[in-house]
Amino acid sequence: MKVTWRLADGREISADATAGETLKDAALAAGVPHILGECGGSMSCATCHVVLPPEWAEKAGPPGEFEDAILDTTEAPRQATSRLSCQIEMHPGLDGLTLIVPEP
Amino acid sequence: MTVWQPMDDGHADLASHDTFAKGPPHNTFARLRREDPVHWSEWSGGRGFWSITRHADILELNRQFDAFSSAQGIRMEDQTREEYLARRTFQETDPPEHMKTRIKVAKAFSKPVIAGFEGQIRDLTQEILDRALAQDEFDATREIARQLPMRLLGRIIGVPDADLPWLVEKGDALIANTDPDFTDHVLDRMDTDEFRLMPFNSPAGAELWEYAQALMAEKNRKGDTDGVLHMILQPDRDGNVISELEFRNFFCLLVAAGNDTTRYSIAAGIQALAHQPELLGQMRAGGDIWETAPDEIIRWATPALYFRRTATRDYELHGKTIRAGDKVLFWWVSGNRDERVFDDPFRVDLARAPNPHLSFGKGGPHLCLGMHLARLEVKVLFEELARRVRSVTPAGPHEFLRSNFVGGIKRLPVRVETL
Repeated sequence: MKVTWRLADGREISADATAGETLKDAALAAGVPHILGECGGSMSCATCHVVLPPEWAEKAGPPGEFEDAILDTTEAPRQATSRLSCQIEMHPGLDGLTLIVPEP
Repeated sequence: MTVWQPMDDGHADLASHDTFAKGPPHNTFARLRREDPVHWSEWSGGRGFWSITRHADILELNRQFDAFSSAQGIRMEDQTREEYLARRTFQETDPPEHMKTRIKVAKAFSKPVIAGFEGQIRDLTQEILDRALAQDEFDATREIARQLPMRLLGRIIGVPDADLPWLVEKGDALIANTDPDFTDHVLDRMDTDEFRLMPFNSPAGAELWEYAQALMAEKNRKGDTDGVLHMILQPDRDGNVISELEFRNFFCLLVAAGNDTTRYSIAAGIQALAHQPELLGQMRAGGDIWETAPDEIIRWATPALYFRRTATRDYELHGKTIRAGDKVLFWWVSGNRDERVFDDPFRVDLARAPNPHLSFGKGGPHLCLGMHLARLEVKVLFEELARRVRSVTPAGPHEFLRSNFVGGIKRLPVRVETL
């Protein structure tokens, strides 16, 4: 399944992700800039912040309670469809997904 | 020239605080990484423990908070359930409980909020350097490294500057509770049993608690709702509020952890300047070096030497079986010198990138809450120091804290030549 990250300068990085893999792990494997995942995916850092295009936001679903709180600590300003990519697991419904990587 | 000097024979006792009074036993850690990366130590002061020393293993185990729990204590010492409950902070809880507390204060320590402190940090740094650099020779830990985190702590908690020396003395007594320079109640040398329900087994915990109570009463009287202490007292979504006990322990954690860790990062950085003279020139040249230098200094320092976890189930690693209930120490200080990950790990390379150091507990839920503040303090302090100083040279041997938990240079005599 394919995922694409769109960077602030317009550059795009695409990679394959497997079902069950988090989008943070997929980004680290693909070397996507600004996705650091410093807390290993435990919602303690907000360094895997991504913004979903509206058409994908609904498919990925809303953030949970703790994720919602930690999204208030991101470096780039939070947007309506911001998520922590460590909390989104890849599944067939997300094949072809594009994620926007916000820069501070 | 490297900064590191071999200080041990490769078989140092990791449970002994005296070992670390000569500096971290890097030869022992290097041997363990090579020969015995899952190492069992017996300990006369309690149950034995496992030591994890390779960077990759620490990352892998730190991620698995369900298998390696923080909820039975994070130091080597054994705690009864009663002691644990009396003394724990959110550092000593696991997800999801850990998150309930963390989300209350996470915003106060977020990168954008911390960035707002830069002007204050720079002003405080100028004052501190004005005073320190008026002398040719001084103890850089006392005159510089100790000063900045202490003064900043006051701003973050919202206490009068006049109270800060007392607060920091009590914070030191807590976290450096194995060094007779910092406490009259040395943990492993006397019976501290009567203090066993107080933070860090220390009577300083009780004094800090009284102070925190008076401080909050005064703030309430004035209607002062600024600062991180007010945030932690707010109810969560379900209306739950923090207990008095938890508040006391959180306050002690702020005073202790928010204070000495950055102090010892700054001290280690100044020690590096004294032994690798090219670093000052690189700092003065400025530019991109400030993107990477703070993390390299913090890698070099590794103020938190290890955190302990407790296995919740049997776990196989490198042919050893860690049993459920066993204590497991993640030696950040060893992972940060792992030659498998860091090229020339005993050299300070201010341009090191990537720098996946473990000083902040990388890869796990307990990632340092104050890491953005620590990086900013280190950055601003060395920017300003490099602007003013031509050279730093040792003016005598430096001395380490007597602790296998907090790694720090407690005395750092230096001679400086200003520009």
